[in-house]
Amino acid sequence: MAVATPTTTPIPRPVLDHIHPEPTGFIRKYIFSIDHKIIAYQYFITAGLFFVIAGLLAEMIRIDLLKHTGVLTPNVYNQVYSVHGSMMVWLVIIPFVSGAFGNFVMPLQIGARDVAFPWLNLAAFWMFPPAGLILLASFAFGAPDAGWTEYPPISLQAPFGTSMWCIAIFLIGISSTLTGINFLVTIFKMRAPGMTFTRMPLFVWASAATAGLNMVATTALAAALLALFLERQFGVPFYNPTKGGSPILWQHMFWFYSHPAVYIMILPAFGIISEVLPTFSRKPIFGYKMIAFSSVAIALLGFMVWAHHMFTSGMAPWLQLPFMIITMLIAIPTGIKIFSWMATLWGGSIEFSPACLFALGFLITFTLGGVTGFFLAAVPADLHEHGTYFVVGHIHYVLYGGSVFGIYAGLYYWWPKMTGRMMNERLGQWHAWVTFVAFNCTFLPMHWLGLLGMPRRVAMYDVEFEFWNQVVSICSFFLAASTLMIMGNMLWSFKNGKKAGPNPWGARTLEWMISSPPPYYNFKKVPAVLAAPYDFGNPLPYIGLDAEPGAVEATPQSTTGLVHAH
Amino acid sequence: MAHQVAKTKVSLGPGFWLVTAGILIASAIMSYFVYASGWPIGLPQIAEPAPEIDSLFKFLGAVGGTIFNIVTGYIIYFAIVFRRKKSDPPDAIGVQVHDNPVLEFWWTVIPTVLVVILAIFSTVIWSSLQNTAGDVLTMEAIGHQYYFSFRYPKLANPVNNEMHVPVNVPVTLHVTSAEPGEPPVDHGFWVPEVRLKADMVPGLINTLRFTPTQIGGPYRIICTEFCGALHGTMRATFYIDSQKDFDKWFAKQGGTGGAASGGAAGASSGIALAGGTAAAGATLFAAKCSACHATDAFSDKKVGPGLGKIFADPGHPKLVDSSAPTPDDAALIMKKGFTGDIGQMPDATTNQISDGDIANLVAYLVSLSKK
Repeated sequence: MAVATPTTTPIPRPVLDHIHPEPTGFIRKYIFSIDHKIIAYQYFITAGLFFVIAGLLAEMIRIDLLKHTGVLTPNVYNQVYSVHGSMMVWLVIIPFVSGAFGNFVMPLQIGARDVAFPWLNLAAFWMFPPAGLILLASFAFGAPDAGWTEYPPISLQAPFGTSMWCIAIFLIGISSTLTGINFLVTIFKMRAPGMTFTRMPLFVWASAATAGLNMVATTALAAALLALFLERQFGVPFYNPTKGGSPILWQHMFWFYSHPAVYIMILPAFGIISEVLPTFSRKPIFGYKMIAFSSVAIALLGFMVWAHHMFTSGMAPWLQLPFMIITMLIAIPTGIKIFSWMATLWGGSIEFSPACLFALGFLITFTLGGVTGFFLAAVPADLHEHGTYFVVGHIHYVLYGGSVFGIYAGLYYWWPKMTGRMMNERLGQWHAWVTFVAFNCTFLPMHWLGLLGMPRRVAMYDVEFEFWNQVVSICSFFLAASTLMIMGNMLWSFKNGKKAGPNPWGARTLEWMISSPPPYYNFKKVPAVLAAPYDFGNPLPYIGLDAEPGAVEATPQSTTGLVHAH
Repeated sequence: MAHQVAKTKVSLGPGFWLVTAGILIASAIMSYFVYASGWPIGLPQIAEPAPEIDSLFKFLGAVGGTIFNIVTGYIIYFAIVFRRKKSDPPDAIGVQVHDNPVLEFWWTVIPTVLVVILAIFSTVIWSSLQNTAGDVLTMEAIGHQYYFSFRYPKLANPVNNEMHVPVNVPVTLHVTSAEPGEPPVDHGFWVPEVRLKADMVPGLINTLRFTPTQIGGPYRIICTEFCGALHGTMRATFYIDSQKDFDKWFAKQGGTGGAASGGAAGASSGIALAGGTAAAGATLFAAKCSACHATDAFSDKKVGPGLGKIFADPGHPKLVDSSAPTPDDAALIMKKGFTGDIGQMPDATTNQISDGDIANLVAYLVSLSKK
């Protein structure tokens, strides 16, 4: 039972008493606000809206596959699944985890009043809704139909909608890059006094690793998209083999971004889980440093594995080996995280709040996604699995069972902080259970469908797979319905939810030390950080808000009532 | 620390070792089931790498399943044993441990060892896929919207949607996509019962090697890269025949002799090749041929295939209707031109090359293949 000894050196703090007045006009306050919290709410609402649209597209996919001959016309089906994938990746998960959670939580957790570049933040957000609208409008011109990967040469022959897809994703790419720069500078330069790197909450570590990935990887995607657009609209031959281009070039550039993008989508979810589990087990996170460093290790290794998506595409066979081995290495830092989270549960006083249930579900589903990831990394096995429903099952285990479960956990966890009101606990718990069961029934059978011979991206399939496709489809309807439970819960909370107060969960990180929702400018006085973030047994508070650090150290219990819940 | 209501017990938890034993026994039973049944794939193994690839699947299934059982088992166990009970005080906290270097050391080292074992196992299986056997049937599969065609040595015309191979003869299958004039799109070639797959990419030749071991069919050849609206319908049938049945089928397609046994080319160019010089050929190649042909491996395709090793590469695809291209075959193509799945080439008149030029060029190609 380690109890940190109170430090005796007072922590110097800048005096920042000058506060700009809050804008009063509706437009400046809610539409073009530079407040990171308002921008985060805008991300939540927009990404939530796209989540509903992309979810409805997913249900259209499942309706089509109820019959082995297909229900929709193949052309429509191909557009539907392509826009579903693109939208879920670029307009739902990435904006949710970085734009929404990153923007809302990260500055609060480091004790900053805003991000480093608020106007850049505003610009980054306002590229996001137009990108979504352009992608949706592409349905009027023949939406992209070659999957979210849009491999040329077939994507070169598609109607104009694919060019609109290029523009939309390009905009999102710029938005991600700007957010990445912004977050990295914020985390490096704007932490509250006393918040050393090893006192940063783990969500901040994950956000830093994600921001680095966003900054570096997205440039490759931008170049690839620009080339695709130029070739489609002006005939500049980059990818068309009959004009001397290389279709494989696109695959390399696309996956150089899109593999790290998997970590852009999952690392912040890891961060959310690392916040939720200690709070609801009333324990310090187990192996803080290993979890923090493993995020960075995953981000670095994530840059060196892109060609594992291309084992069947045509590359020098020997090149398959380094990509296979580095991919397998990623299992080590990921395993360290999983084991550390398990050890965090051990000996805890675990409260099954909805956020905690989603975090537990995450551990199980993400582990399964990791195991099937190993199946895909091994080259000889991948030669059988590539391009089949096995891959579809795997990607949904890591992106739905991973990222989306993380997003749900984060929503239940930070909802009281964002709105000042509690959600209905019982309804949230039902939501978690229904989602967990429906999720597994929907995506688990896909693995066997793939292994037995069902390729992906098909509007119709061999008749012997019809039974399991119907099972999958019916379960997916329950999965879609489960989303209504959280939407209903949000409405319920606005109407009936009891006032949350500053710290309803008794958590120890900085965002819980101020009122809910946080005031404009977050912290009137820059707080001083005195201890590690998850020390529930430490009598020393995490921060001193109003008192000078020296005074806090002398009488730990004498600080304002907000500071410490046991 | 009067305010702390920490749980004072530091035992692992009631029944921890019992649960551990349960998880391990369940994993052992599961692993036994994996090895005793066809799981996880359960499809017939009709060609040589399938049993090896399945052994990798079984190993991954057993190891991965065990890891999953351990994670899930302990999570459920911890969640039950360490749940906050109604009787607990509202400010109860858990055991305040921050880390445990010994535990963290082992849960880094053990997965690392597992990763190394899996990487070695995968690499061994991988290298068995790279083997080039001696007496092979070299053939091509070409993807079209939305059908497959197959070219055999000594068959003038491609066979559509039906692929026959003789049992126990190693097959080297070159796959590519789109004939000239067709819109270039990717396809994929997959026979689940063989466990192998390669993308068919226009302008690129990918190679699969397998040895059929079980007579049977029809099996499905499935397109696995999105190729257009009707991608989901793109299938061909795959048969493994006895040598006798294969020869019968092959004769019906218009083939003569055994496809797999090689032999002399049917036609002759009628050009005397003896007088050609490689140096003159090299100059001509740079002027006349290098715009379309590289002097690298066959698969390094510019407009036409790379010609650096055409007489030396046993896996060289159909040049003329012979599995072993001879200098005379090359001369014939230069003379008469070529129209086929891997592209088109104009004849000597269009290219403005004389018989003497051809002799020089052939000498040059021969010298390249000897390097």
